[in-house]
Amino acid sequence: MDEEPERAKRWEGGYERTWEVLKEDESGSLKATVEEILFQSKRKRVIESHGQVRLGMMRHLHVVIDCSRSMEDQDLKPNRLTSTLKLLETFVDEYFDQNPISQLGLITTKNKRAEKLTDLAGNPKKHAAALKKAVDTVCLGEPSIYNSLNLAIQTLKHMPGHTSREILIILSSLTTCDPANICELIKTLKSLKVRVSVIGLSAEVRVCTVLTRETGGSYHVILDESHFKELLMLHVKPPPASSSSECSLIRMGFPQHTIASLTDQDAKPSFTASGVAPGLSLGGYFCPQCHAKYTELPVECKVCGLTLVSAPHLARSFHHLFPLQAFIESPVEEFQEDRFCQACQGELKDKSIFTCPSCRSVFCVECDLFIHDLLHCCPCCIHSQSAP
Amino acid sequence: MEFYSKQTGESNNFLALALSSRKNLCIHPEVSALRFGKEVDGKCHSLTASYIRAQRHSTPDVPVCRFYEEFDAVGRQVPLPAGIYNLDDLKDFGRRKGWCPYYLARYSILHANIVVYSYHYLLDPKIADLVSKELAKNSVVVFDEAHNIDNVCIDSMSVNITRRTLDRCHTNVDTLQNTIQKIKETDAAKLKMEYRRLVEGLKEANVARETDVYLANPVLPDEILKEAVPGNIRTAEHFVGFLKRFLEYLKSRLRVQHVVQESAPQFLKDIFDKVCIDRKPLRFCAERLQSLLRTLEIADIADFSAVTLISNFATLVSTYSQGTKTLLHYSCSKICMDPSIAIKPVFQRFQSVIITSGTLSPLDIYPRILDFRPVTMASFTMTLARTCLCPLVCNYPQTHTFKNTLTLTLVDSVIRNYGNLLLEMSAIVPDGIVAFFTSYVYMENIVASWYEQGILENIQRNKLIFIETPDAAETSMALEKYQEACENGRGAILLSVARGKVSEGIDFVHHFGRAVIMFGVPYVYTQSRILKARLEYLRDQFQIRENDFLTFDAMRHAAQCVGRAIRGKTDYGLMIFADKRYARADKRGKLPRWIQEHINDGSLNLTVDEAVQLSKHFLRQMAQPFRQEDQLGLSLLTLEQLESEEMLQKIAKIAHQT
Repeated sequence: MDEEPERAKRWEGGYERTWEVLKEDESGSLKATVEEILFQSKRKRVIESHGQVRLGMMRHLHVVIDCSRSMEDQDLKPNRLTSTLKLLETFVDEYFDQNPISQLGLITTKNKRAEKLTDLAGNPKKHAAALKKAVDTVCLGEPSIYNSLNLAIQTLKHMPGHTSREILIILSSLTTCDPANICELIKTLKSLKVRVSVIGLSAEVRVCTVLTRETGGSYHVILDESHFKELLMLHVKPPPASSSSECSLIRMGFPQHTIASLTDQDAKPSFTASGVAPGLSLGGYFCPQCHAKYTELPVECKVCGLTLVSAPHLARSFHHLFPLQAFIESPVEEFQEDRFCQACQGELKDKSIFTCPSCRSVFCVECDLFIHDLLHCCPCCIHSQSAP
Repeated sequence: MEFYSKQTGESNNFLALALSSRKNLCIHPEVSALRFGKEVDGKCHSLTASYIRAQRHSTPDVPVCRFYEEFDAVGRQVPLPAGIYNLDDLKDFGRRKGWCPYYLARYSILHANIVVYSYHYLLDPKIADLVSKELAKNSVVVFDEAHNIDNVCIDSMSVNITRRTLDRCHTNVDTLQNTIQKIKETDAAKLKMEYRRLVEGLKEANVARETDVYLANPVLPDEILKEAVPGNIRTAEHFVGFLKRFLEYLKSRLRVQHVVQESAPQFLKDIFDKVCIDRKPLRFCAERLQSLLRTLEIADIADFSAVTLISNFATLVSTYSQGTKTLLHYSCSKICMDPSIAIKPVFQRFQSVIITSGTLSPLDIYPRILDFRPVTMASFTMTLARTCLCPLVCNYPQTHTFKNTLTLTLVDSVIRNYGNLLLEMSAIVPDGIVAFFTSYVYMENIVASWYEQGILENIQRNKLIFIETPDAAETSMALEKYQEACENGRGAILLSVARGKVSEGIDFVHHFGRAVIMFGVPYVYTQSRILKARLEYLRDQFQIRENDFLTFDAMRHAAQCVGRAIRGKTDYGLMIFADKRYARADKRGKLPRWIQEHINDGSLNLTVDEAVQLSKHFLRQMAQPFRQEDQLGLSLLTLEQLESEEMLQKIAKIAHQT
């Protein structure tokens, strides 16, 4: 699963000094270091589980994409913009997969201005389409953090208090061209409880450090493309909610999908209240309150304002609240029993093994990653629960 | 402080304070409003001098400084409470109590544990005499940032006289004469008393020196103390006449068209031949003038700075025949070429003297030029949890031959190369970049041609550009704007000069200086006559070759410049030496150890592209989160680690390595 992303031609790349990372072991062989590097890269993942903390499950996230001149830099292949947009597409998918009841909006900034690419909405398809279209954007001028933040605030400040308000800036340029002092804006953001995170594509910029520190966001700078992806995926997980944010009960509707059977002659195709492609269809989700018809979930009912979700959506965001505990890493020598992974039944060949703290089952690295990233529950624990 | 007493569980009686000039410490509403240090000094003097205050007893409407009065009345009995005071703390304290902070500080240094002040208070004989002479013999003197100590020593012992000084001196002498005339009419007894005192000589001072109470004053040589003031300058009129003769002589000497360089004995002989002034009275000149000014009750000392300068000149030139030289060319300057003269009393008087700096390298040259025998020399490397500095040497063709560093026959291609480097760097380095040039002229020329070539315009798309000028006010304005630009994310470049104000005193912490670029090697202006004389002296006296000294001097300035960027272990910065010559062993070897360590062969002779790639990689690496725990055990020690045997041995090993 950790295949190196396919690179462009080697000679197109920048001047690199790959040999400097390598160190010879006592016998003069490089094998040990190479393995070490591979192993490290596998293990590099988010271990810090939040435990039992309140998370902002309903997220409103604005992603600001820098489209300034510096995005044409070719240190990410084929250039920064294309690479970023490609990664963002997967991010959007992942985001809605993990946070089904959240919304996302896209903003681009270039030439000292900020433009809205897509409005805050819960539909991944629309965003993906917009991102695909954005590949052809001409990158020019300087970005303006101030303007884009301002634009994001315009919509975010109307969001209800129990949802989390977030802005993620992907900044490639090292400068920002602002119409006014950004410190004032940071104060406003702070008072509105907007969390601003930044991913820098080139280097650490002071103003971003201040911005993220003040608003409680995170600031990272990418090392290469895979690191970039990793950093983006960090933002998929919902952030811990600030203790001061309101609690409120939300009314939600669970509409059922009904398809008028073709045999039923009374059935007529009807218009949906909203959707990507408004048109006639036979089946759909009907709002339990007002019976408006929708083709997709989750959505907010246009008629009565009820949040419509399906039960699997809620269940999917559930695991964020009760994350699977990190497995305990220990060297393979200490392990006395049969050296087989409980999940894949393969032999444990790596240097370290991982033990589930509750059922003491042993896993290999690959399975450990798979369990934490995708399954979100230990297969052996489940097994032992259901067996008796 | 509070932490310390809490940790040790006892309150300690510890007093530390900073001392500065009156200008920085004055809280008198009228006096502190003045802009120049000299004015403040003069005004303060006129309000606090002892005879003024004596006059006030008889005529109460003479203005005095109420802060000083208050301090004098009660301040001396009550010592400054223990604590640590910086200048603002002192001022606050002074305001609260109504005491003069300056005099309070000066008085308090006698019982303070730590005193922080400028070098000049110890090295400059005129000031040291006032401020530092009562420091205890067993004090430890630490010269921090002492990489320039030889220059400070030389400055403090050198006198520069221009024609304007002489003119002002002339009026000074006239006023003196008038005052003497007046006093003679009214108060002849006073002058007589002074005369008697002078006959007795400076016995008191001599006694004091023998009992070792005071720091020896190099302007006041031993011989003077043992003798009485010579007869021909004892009376006031005679002394004024003597000064006049001396002045006329200097004037006549200044009329020369060509450059004359004379050693001290030559100069003295000439002066004897022309105006019959002997060496001996010249020596007493400074002391005699002081005495006269005191007797005449002249309040505003500032006005008499010219004549004081001349008399100091006379004393210095007649006392130190070794290691000084007189240079006559439009202006007359007595240059002291031997820094050891000024610092000798310090070495003699104090038990331990520590000279330290971040850029003191190579170490062995300092004992040679300052003429002392060091007890220990150690140079510590920096232990860093991550390599937070990245020195790169770029390979530009050698632009000019060694001797004429300043000739401006710069090749166009070199200028363009420099421009390209700056342009590329401005695109990849965040926030602030500081670029150092070797001189103002050089900078102006390069910037001008960058403008013509359109490079400047391109750079300005990435960052704003600020330029240091010789004008202090303009520079500080530029600095302020530069910092603002770094702060709010616009990014800026500061173009400055290697020996200017920016390179010495301003720190570019964190985002204010992410990269420092040195264009060229900052050699001193080799054509300067003063420098030539000094080099000659160094070669004859200390067997230091000119070339060695010049390189040493250039490299310490280069190190000083690039060192501006890194001011702490969490800080990081690029150091780019844009000159091929830095790659040579003799230059590299003279950089401080902590920079040398990080220069490997891979970072030498880079093209612009290579440098850009390396810097990009470095900046990304450095931007990764860096926590305090990462430093533990490497560059930050916990108490247990510090006490562990292993670590102590390691430290000892590092210390012995030199």
